[in-house]
Amino acid sequence: MIEQLPILNLLVLLSTALVIPLFKKRTFNMTLWFGFFTLFFVFISSIVLTYHVYVHGAFYYHLGGHAPFLGIELLIDGFATFFTTFVLGLLILIYSYSAGDATEGISEKEYGRYYILLFILLFAMLGIIYTNDLFNIYVFMEILSITTCSIISIKRKKENYTSAFRYVMLNEVGSLSFLFGVALIYMITGFTNIGLVADALPDVWALYPANIILAVGFMVIGIGIKAAIFPFHVWLPDAHASAPSSSSAILSGIVIKVYALIFVKMLFRLYGVDLLTELNIPIILTVTASVGMVLGSMFAMAQKDIKRMLGYSSVAQMGYIVLGISLFSYLGLRAAFFHITSHALLKSALFLSVGAIIYKQKERRINHYDGIGKLMPLSMGVFTIAALGMIGIPITSGFISKYNLGLAALDANQTILIGVLVFSGLLNAMYYLPIIIQAFLKEPKTPVYMIKLEKIPLTMMLPIAILGLAILTLGIYPNLVMNLIDLAVESLGF
Amino acid sequence: MDDIIVKSITRIIIPFVQLYGIFIILHGHVSPGGGFSGGALFGTSLILYTLIFGVDKAQKKFSHRVSEIAESGGILIYLSIGVIGIFTAGYFLSNKAAGFPLGEAGSLLSGGMIPLLMIGVGIKVASTMVTLFHTLIMEERL
Repeated sequence: MIEQLPILNLLVLLSTALVIPLFKKRTFNMTLWFGFFTLFFVFISSIVLTYHVYVHGAFYYHLGGHAPFLGIELLIDGFATFFTTFVLGLLILIYSYSAGDATEGISEKEYGRYYILLFILLFAMLGIIYTNDLFNIYVFMEILSITTCSIISIKRKKENYTSAFRYVMLNEVGSLSFLFGVALIYMITGFTNIGLVADALPDVWALYPANIILAVGFMVIGIGIKAAIFPFHVWLPDAHASAPSSSSAILSGIVIKVYALIFVKMLFRLYGVDLLTELNIPIILTVTASVGMVLGSMFAMAQKDIKRMLGYSSVAQMGYIVLGISLFSYLGLRAAFFHITSHALLKSALFLSVGAIIYKQKERRINHYDGIGKLMPLSMGVFTIAALGMIGIPITSGFISKYNLGLAALDANQTILIGVLVFSGLLNAMYYLPIIIQAFLKEPKTPVYMIKLEKIPLTMMLPIAILGLAILTLGIYPNLVMNLIDLAVESLGF
Repeated sequence: MDDIIVKSITRIIIPFVQLYGIFIILHGHVSPGGGFSGGALFGTSLILYTLIFGVDKAQKKFSHRVSEIAESGGILIYLSIGVIGIFTAGYFLSNKAAGFPLGEAGSLLSGGMIPLLMIGVGIKVASTMVTLFHTLIMEERL
C-alpha cells in the first residue's frame, strides 16, 4: 500500500482543490480546517514515504500499469521524498499563517478561490518533483505557471495585473522553450521517459550533435527563466512583491526552488555530467551564477519597497544555488541542496515577518521602519534572525550553506569563487543590516506608550516563531537534514 | 437579438448540436473526437443560446452554481474511475487489469473505462466553456 502513497498524495491535493468550490454555502472556517487536514494527511504520508525510501530504497510507480516507454512513470527516491516532505512542512506553516492574514488585499469573496489556487499549486509542485517523464514535467510546469499567475493577480489592482502579465509572458516563453527542447529530444531518441532518454543519449550524441546542443540550450534557458536565474530574472521582483505576503513566501520560498530542482533533475538525470562538461555548461552556469549573486544584491540595495528588496535578494540567492549546482560535484550539489532548504526557510521567514509588519503598520517603505523593532518585537526579531542568516552569520542555517559552498568551491580548485562568495555576503550585509539597525536602535516616530504593542493573531505569530526556531536549529544541528540530503544527492548518481 | 428567424432557427438547431456533442463524447474511443471536442460542441450550443436569448435567460437555464458543480464533478468522475484501478489492479487508471470489460473492438461498448472517462472530460469542458463565456459577458456589465 505504501507504493500507492505518491499518487494518493497528488489525488488528495487535486480533489481538495475541486471540493472547496462546493463548500460555498458553508463557513470559511470549514474550508480552512478541511484544507489543513488534507495538508496534514499529505505531510504524514510523505514522511512515511521518506522513511520507506530511506530503509528500502527507491521505487517506480507506473500510472495505469503501462510500461515506462508508453506511460507516465513516477520515480520516488531520496531526492523526491526529501523535497516533498520539506515543501509540505513549510507549506503547513505558511498555510496557518495565511489563515490569519488572508485579508491582505484579497476581497472576502476571493478567499475560497485563493485556497483552490493554493492546492492546485501544491499539486503541481509535488507532481513535478515525483514525475520521471519529460512531457509530464512540462504539463505540471504549465499548471504551476497558470496558478502562479492567478495568485499574483488575485488582488485585482493595476500593479498586480501588470506584473502578472509580465510574469505570464516571460514564463510562457520559458515553458515553450522547454517544450521545444523536449520535442528535439523525442525526435532523436523516441522517448520522453527520463531514464530511457538518458540511456539512449550516448548513442545518438555522435549522430545528432546539433539536436542535443539545441535541446540543452532551450531547456537550460526555459528553466532558467522559470527559476529566475540571473539574466532572466526581470519578472521576479514585481511579481513576488505585489502578491499577498503569504503567497510571496510560497512563490519566493518554494516555487522557484521547485524549478531549481527540475533544473538539477534535467542536468544530472537526463544529460549527465560527461555530455554537459563537453558543452561547457558548467562554466556558463558558474559565470551567470556569480554575476547574479553580485548584481542581484546590488539591485536589492537600490530598492525602497521592502518586498521588492526581498524579491531581488531572491535573485541573488538563486545565484548561490546555481553556483553549487554548476560545480558538478558531490560537495557542490550537497551545498546547493542545503541552500535550497535553508533559503526556503529564510525567505519564508522574511516574507512572513514583513507581512505581519505590513498587516499591522500598513507600511512597506524601508525608510519608515524606524523603531519598528520596539513595536513588533517578535516579527522584527525573526526578521533579524533570517536577515543574519542571509548574510551568513554563524548559528543560522545561512552560515552552514555558505560554509559548504565555500568548501565545495575549494574542492573544485576555484578559489576565485570564494572571493565572489565573500563579496556577495558583504553586499547582503549592506542592505539587511541598516534595516535591523533602523528598527531596533532608532526611536519610533510616534512615542511607544501611545501605540498598542504587537497584537497579531496567534495563527500568524506561531508560524513566524517556528520558522525562526527552525533557522537556528538548522544552523546548530545541520546534520538533522544532512543525512537526507546526502541520500538525495546519491540518488542523482554521485 | 430580437429577430424571429434567428430565434426559431436557434430553437431548432440547439438540440441537434447537443445530440452531436453527446455522440462525439460517447464515440471518443472508436472514432476521431472524444471528451474534449464533444464537450466543446455541447458548450458551443449553450453559448449559442446565450448569444441569442441573452445572458439572463441563459443563467436561468444553466446557472453559475450548476456550472461550478459540473466543473468539479467532471474531474471527480475522472479521478474516482481512476481510483478504482488502485484497489483492483494496484495502479491508478488501470484499464483492463482493473476489470473493466474491453468488449469487441470497434463497437460502442468497448474500450473499458475510456468512454466513462470521456463523459467526465466532456462535462468538464462543456461547463468550463459556458462559465468562461458568461464571465466575460458579466465582466462587461460591471
